[in-house]
Amino acid sequence: MKKTKLGEFEELVLLTVATLQGDAYGVEIKRELESRLKERLSVGSIQSALKRMEDKGFLTSQFGEPTQKRGGKRKRIYATTSHGRRVLEEMRDIRASLWKAMPNLAQSLNVV
Amino acid sequence: MEPRLLHPPKWPLKFLRFFLKTDYLEEIEGDMEEIFRENAERFSVRKANRLYTWEMIKLLRPNLVRNLELLQTMNELPMFSNYFKVSIRGLMKNPLNSFINIFGLSAAIGICVFAYAFTRWTYSTDQFHEHKQEVYLVTFFANRDGAAQQFGRTPRPLGEMLRNDLAHIKKVCRVEDRNVVMKYEDNVFHERVRYTDPEFLEMFTFPLKWGTSKSLADVNSIILSEDMSVKYFGEANPVGLDIQVVFGKGRSKSFKISGVAKEFPKARTISFDFLINLENLRTSEPGYDMHDWNAFVDATFIEIDQPSDLKDIEQGMDKYKKLQNEAVQQDWALSSFGFEPLATLHERSEYIRDDISRSSSSNYKTIMFMVIIAIFILALACFNYINIAIATAAKRLKEIGVRKSIGATRRVVIVQFLTENIVVTCFALIFGLFLGYAFFIPGFEGLWHFSMGFTLNDPALWIYLPAVLLLTSLASGIYPAFYISRFQVVGILKGSVKFGQKNPLTRIFLGMQLALGCIFITIATTFTQNNSYMATRSWGYNQAETLYANVPDHDAYEELNALLSRDPDVISVSGSTHHLGKSHTTAVLHFPEREYEVDQLSVDANYFETMGLHLTQGRVFNPHEGSDKQAVIVNELLVKNLAWESAIGQHFSIDSVQYEVVGVVKDFHSYSFAKPLRPTIFRVTDRNEYRYLSLRVRPGTEIKTLKEVQAKWIQLFPEIPFEGGLQEDTWTGYFESMRIFDIVWLVFSFIAVSLASLGLYGLITLNVAGRVKEFSVRKVLGAGTRDIALNITRQYLVLLTVALLIGAPAGYLITKSLFDFAFPYHIPVNLFSASGAVVILVLILLLTVYSQIRRISKSNPVNGLKVE
Repeated sequence: MKKTKLGEFEELVLLTVATLQGDAYGVEIKRELESRLKERLSVGSIQSALKRMEDKGFLTSQFGEPTQKRGGKRKRIYATTSHGRRVLEEMRDIRASLWKAMPNLAQSLNVV
Repeated sequence: MEPRLLHPPKWPLKFLRFFLKTDYLEEIEGDMEEIFRENAERFSVRKANRLYTWEMIKLLRPNLVRNLELLQTMNELPMFSNYFKVSIRGLMKNPLNSFINIFGLSAAIGICVFAYAFTRWTYSTDQFHEHKQEVYLVTFFANRDGAAQQFGRTPRPLGEMLRNDLAHIKKVCRVEDRNVVMKYEDNVFHERVRYTDPEFLEMFTFPLKWGTSKSLADVNSIILSEDMSVKYFGEANPVGLDIQVVFGKGRSKSFKISGVAKEFPKARTISFDFLINLENLRTSEPGYDMHDWNAFVDATFIEIDQPSDLKDIEQGMDKYKKLQNEAVQQDWALSSFGFEPLATLHERSEYIRDDISRSSSSNYKTIMFMVIIAIFILALACFNYINIAIATAAKRLKEIGVRKSIGATRRVVIVQFLTENIVVTCFALIFGLFLGYAFFIPGFEGLWHFSMGFTLNDPALWIYLPAVLLLTSLASGIYPAFYISRFQVVGILKGSVKFGQKNPLTRIFLGMQLALGCIFITIATTFTQNNSYMATRSWGYNQAETLYANVPDHDAYEELNALLSRDPDVISVSGSTHHLGKSHTTAVLHFPEREYEVDQLSVDANYFETMGLHLTQGRVFNPHEGSDKQAVIVNELLVKNLAWESAIGQHFSIDSVQYEVVGVVKDFHSYSFAKPLRPTIFRVTDRNEYRYLSLRVRPGTEIKTLKEVQAKWIQLFPEIPFEGGLQEDTWTGYFESMRIFDIVWLVFSFIAVSLASLGLYGLITLNVAGRVKEFSVRKVLGAGTRDIALNITRQYLVLLTVALLIGAPAGYLITKSLFDFAFPYHIPVNLFSASGAVVILVLILLLTVYSQIRRISKSNPVNGLKVE
């Protein structure tokens, strides 16, 4: 686990990138996450998470098309790497197994 | 709006381009622009701009910003962090030295913070008025005793005439203060009411908490200060309630409360308790004549549009000067009118007589003292730092040698030492700010019962503090840094350089510290001595067995007198218009060849006996009603100043009436010892002008009689609160302030002396530690404790002697000029006053040396010789 260290917020961003597929660029990721989390996020927080995960090799990116809306600047479209997907699955499995273990634990605590 | 036309604000973008990593720029810029357009459509453009800027600021994250990379590639950063580490280690290694340095510097910085707070408070006095540059006080100049003086009062008709005649003048307000009795249900108090024109609240910035300021135009309205509102009504809103104002016997009026002012700023001299319309003077004083050039109002303010208009107005004043001078007696003729801007009125109030904003004008002098003291104490702390830095440098020679040999230039070493110094000063600054904020300022405020309104979120403070930091670090750090960095590497590493033990400058600094300590102790001890001296100083009359009470008029006096004269404890009763320590008036004496201004008290024949004034020549007034109308009794000072050989029978005129001197009394202090004696005359008062009743009682019965008088007062005048008391209690405030001066100086001298003695202790300890080997050799060769003690003491005794030879006379001279400057009457200051300081300093030196000698005499010389 240690090698694939993934923060809570990073995990959310990574999941969003995976969900959005080819549409995953900064503003879209922000919009999607904001609507799901129901809170405002800053560009800075999203961008720094993206850059960190790119450095760790969870994400790759390439430039998209420039648009008028962006003052003629290109988007950067993000995509998950296979390593990134694996880490996400790993996280999900760890969580799932923990959830599975919980009721039993709670019961045994109650008995004592 | 067409979104295409919109562009995000420019400067955040520039900022972004400067800070962001270039690789990320295109993407993030695009993102930001897209969001900006979206926001501009959803909200207003202004909000979008704001959000855009805010987002930009939030983009400053370590992994997005490029300049951090740049920083990391510079080797200054690790270098400075190494300096920092070395300084912290140095501090931990020598806890005693660090304590001396940090304690000293923080005490000094604490005093600097305090001085800052006080200065800011004083200079911000009355500066909160929006129109302070356009509002002026009307003053006039007149000749008294051959010297032109400025007066803050104004002839009564002037305000109204200025308002009507001069177009440049936008607003005029006159101010008149009177004592009244205020009644609301069971709350009955003596109060001071300010009569004024409705413009008052427009010219001065006193926002209201409740009610409207326009209501002052109504003669039946009254506006309260917040304090008064709380005093009478608690936290409730009193607007709309009625309050009864008793102007005098049989004259009262009910006012409707129409406003309550917000809490006044702390630094102010002009404010009010109660405000009512000036027109009410017609009701409260039927004899009040607004058109009488012979009488004055307490103050008249004007407001003009342009300060440049003032010249025109000044030129137009000649007309009024003529009017005034035609109407009044020649002695009151004025030479010209003047205008004082509100912005500088408080600063100048010391020089304007009867000025409305007079209060604590000596504060400006106090600031000067405080700055001098802060500099002295800062100097003491810096000397400590310098001395200890030089003395400990010997231990750090190797470090400097190594640094230099691996390439550090002299400049780099200097920077290193200055960095260490800044670290120490930073710590001191934090503690000092804490000391000032938590001890010095609240302590001082507590002593004087006032508040300076000092807060940490004052932007000027955060300019001042770094300035103090820089100044202190440079003052204390420059010399050691240059001194230590001077030495050659080869010399250091070979061990041939030895220094820090006999630096002449170290001695000079230590000597200066001791001399400064001596000065501070001298001042403080003289203050203490002076206080006990003043407590026993004669007032020139008998204060101990006398009581006084304010009476509203002659009838009240008679009623009270009738009751009191039956009391067996009462020896004598007298009535007067003025009273010692309470009130007086001034008069101008006319001689054929000169004019002379004096204080005047109108009293009855019994007054001299009652108050215990000593008659040295002539007689007192004749007790028969109507006699001695043209007789005066003078004090000795007047006789001396006019160089009369024989006072009795001298003539002069006051307001064209001829008077003759019939008696002379010994000089007496009319007011506290803080005020110089004044030439004074006594005249016979008219019965109908009685305002005070004074009593002489049998010794020991003062308190009992006072209680009886109060009880009788309540029976006679249930409507009027009692005002009066023991004559001695008139001065409690004065003695209290003297006590406070004493405490303040004791604190200063305590700090100064502890700094000097800590410095001495630190230096001697280091010196002895550096000579352990030498002392061990001496001991082995047979030197006794006495020889070693002499050896150490001799070195410092010379220094101390020189310091005291300079410090004691300097302390004497400074104390003398300080006392002459601050007090008209004080204990004679002589060289003996400094002797206490000398004794204390010698004792401190001996104790310090003794503690070190004990350590050496107990140590085993073998251990000392084994050292390296």
